Amino acid sequence: MSRPLRAVHYVNQFFAGIGGEDKADVGVSTRDGHVGPGRPLQQALGDEAEIVATIICGDNFMSEQPEAALAEIGAALSRFAPDVVLAGPAFGAGRYGLACEHVCRHARALGIAAVTAMHPDNPGATSGKREVVIVPTGESVTSMQPALERLARFAVRLGRGEELGPAELEGYLPQGRRRSYDRGRPGWERALDMLQAKLHGRSFTTEVPYNAPDQVRPAPPIADLTRATIAMVTTGGLVRKGNPEKQSAANAARYHRHSVASLESLTPEQWEAYHAGYFNHIVNKNPNYILPLSFLRELESSGRVGRVHEQIYALPGVSTPVAAARELGRAIAEDLKQAGVDGALLVAT
Amino acid sequence: MISAIYNFALTTGANRVVRGARIEHVCGDPSLGPEKDHAYGMRIVTTALDAVATPVSRPTLFDPLAPGPALEPAHAS
Repeated sequence: MSRPLRAVHYVNQFFAGIGGEDKADVGVSTRDGHVGPGRPLQQALGDEAEIVATIICGDNFMSEQPEAALAEIGAALSRFAPDVVLAGPAFGAGRYGLACEHVCRHARALGIAAVTAMHPDNPGATSGKREVVIVPTGESVTSMQPALERLARFAVRLGRGEELGPAELEGYLPQGRRRSYDRGRPGWERALDMLQAKLHGRSFTTEVPYNAPDQVRPAPPIADLTRATIAMVTTGGLVRKGNPEKQSAANAARYHRHSVASLESLTPEQWEAYHAGYFNHIVNKNPNYILPLSFLRELESSGRVGRVHEQIYALPGVSTPVAAARELGRAIAEDLKQAGVDGALLVAT
Repeated sequence: MISAIYNFALTTGANRVVRGARIEHVCGDPSLGPEKDHAYGMRIVTTALDAVATPVSRPTLFDPLAPGPALEPAHAS
């Protein structure tokens, strides 16, 4: 038999036994061998791999100073020279999940195989699943044992340099990549099988899964518009003339906030659209078509609405992955909430 | 949300959807001439204000072109 793989395990301060929230800001440290859940993880790895060291970092330290933390972790990985890095399992813990995702991504950048495990809704899985192999787990530590066994199985295969098959067959979280492979039977045969199964009420697995949109609880209605502060948001790619902020025309990574406190209307001298998803020339003549400041000012003067919020929010809403759009939307909503805005009009092109 | 592709907004789960004019000019229509363009845009924006002041329980369309002064929410499904 070949020599066991060298494995390094990453855990947070809690699983290392250092402490809970009160110790979440501890920096990076290492210990020889396994720690905490590393013990049953080692059992799951058996003779195939040996946990030579454990890297520990507080969740807050990692989320507040990721560069410093990852630099130290990188140095430790060079020292231990593992074949594979295992992180977590993080279950439903958000900061820990993000830390595990960071560590695995960093290890991969250093040319080291890496795998982590967490609940599919963990932010670490929703933000980073394209690059990192993530094994799904339950939400809480009660699912520790099966999680460790699956983590170990993937670690051994990745550590040996094995290529994984498709996520749906292997059981890791989909990475949003399409790779060509031969399913053995032509598409029309598989499609007819699915159609037959559907007509006979039998279950079947689609090859093109549909991601149902989130259901959002509707906000309660505004009781009195005449006293309300109304904000405006646009995904129509509104930018200041000449796009000095260098916003992208598609797949926005950020939104921009502009003050319209002193403006009655958006003029084509000051504003334009920069958006790769529609013809911008009409908006460039009258930007109020995608952000109706001129109308809302009139309604403010006539007393129909209380106040127009002085900040507007803009980004191009085209070719943006849902996960990225969700984060941008959440950030805008939080900002509006903090500013005491009662309602927002979002113009989508 | 004000959108010309309002069906898309409804099926992706936006709860208060206002029917906009066109993708290239959501809040108005320059082909109507300045006066009617302004009236149409104002109708869209006031419909949006009515929408945020109306209780809804699921994705609901508010149509500025719907006849009558009272706005009855029309449901997506």
